[in-house]
Amino acid sequence: MDFSIRAANVEDCKDIARMIVVSRHVRTYLEQDGFSKNPFFHGIIAEVPEQLRTKDGHTKVGYALYFYSYSSWAGRAIYMEDLYVMPEFRGKGIGKALMSKVAQLGLAAGCNQLNFTVLDWNKSSRDFYMSQGCCDVTTSMGYHCMRCEGEALQHLAQP
Amino acid sequence: MHFKIRPAKKEDCKEISRLIMELAVYEKMPDQVKIAHEELERDGFCENPFFQCLVAEVPEEHKSKEGFTVVGYALYFYTYSTWKGRSIFLEDLYVMPEFRGNGIGKGLLCKVAEVGKKKECVRLQLSVLDWNTPSRDFYAAKGAQDLTVSEGWHAIRFDGQSLDNLANEAAKI
Repeated sequence: MDFSIRAANVEDCKDIARMIVVSRHVRTYLEQDGFSKNPFFHGIIAEVPEQLRTKDGHTKVGYALYFYSYSSWAGRAIYMEDLYVMPEFRGKGIGKALMSKVAQLGLAAGCNQLNFTVLDWNKSSRDFYMSQGCCDVTTSMGYHCMRCEGEALQHLAQP
Repeated sequence: MHFKIRPAKKEDCKEISRLIMELAVYEKMPDQVKIAHEELERDGFCENPFFQCLVAEVPEEHKSKEGFTVVGYALYFYTYSTWKGRSIFLEDLYVMPEFRGNGIGKGLLCKVAEVGKKKECVRLQLSVLDWNTPSRDFYAAKGAQDLTVSEGWHAIRFDGQSLDNLANEAAKI
C-alpha cells in the first residue's frame, strides 16, 4: 500500500485526537503541549493518498507519539508513548514504518535506547514487537512500572 | 541531620556520576553503566536538556567518610501521557547508605513531585526492580501503584543491534 510518514504539525492535532479517542477515552491538550516552545512530545503521521482515504474521508491513518528521555546508565534515549494504525489499514507495514521512523529519529539524536510499554495480554502487539528484536525488560530484568497520581501525588508535592 | 536539596549544577556531574555507579552496584548491574560525567554535562546542561537533576547536600561537618558532601540525587525528565497529559519520570533516586533514615530520599522524591506540580504534571512515574523490596515498600508507602502487577504493563526496549536494525528499516519507506 502506498503511504508516507512525516512529522506531525499543529494542524494534525485534530486527527491525532480522533485516533486517540478511537483507541481510548482521553482529554489532553495536544496543541499546547506538543507544539509550543518546549514541547512535551513529538509526533509522526502516516498518510495515504486521497484515493485510499477512509469512508469518512480521512487520509491520516496512523501516528506515533514520542519524546526524548534519559537513562543514567546508557545516556540519551527515546520513548514511544503511542503507536497506532486504524484497523482497516493494518497489515500493510504502516505500524512497522512508524516505529522504524521513531528509531531512526532517535539514532539521529544520539539516542541509545528506544523504550515503550505494552500490556501483557496484548498478544498481537507483543508478538509484533518481539518479531522486531526488542527485549521485554520486565520479564528479563524484573523492572516494574510504578505510578503516583491524584491524591497521592498531591500529597507528595506539598512543600 | 541537616541537609539541603537543590538543583544540580554542571559542576555536580562528577559527584552525580559517582552516585549513579553506586546505585548500579546496588542494583547488581555495574557493567551496564556506559556513560560518565562528560555525557551528563553535555545532556543535562544544554539548551534543551534531556534530564533535570536535584542533589542532596550535607554541611562539611557531616561529610561522608571519603569526604563527600553530595550524598544523594534524583534524576528526572518530563514525559507525556496521551491519556492524561504532562507527566514526570523519576529515572533515579539514590541516597548513600550512611545517610539513609534521615528523610533525604523522601525529601528528594517530594521535591520532584513539587517541581512536577509547578509544571502541571498529573503523574509521576518510575520503575523499580522486582526484588528491590525496600524501594518497592518506600514507593508503595507514598501511594505509588505497581502497574506491572495491577494492570500488566511490561517495559520493552530496543538497543544496540536491534535498535540499528529497526532504524535501518526506515530508510526503505
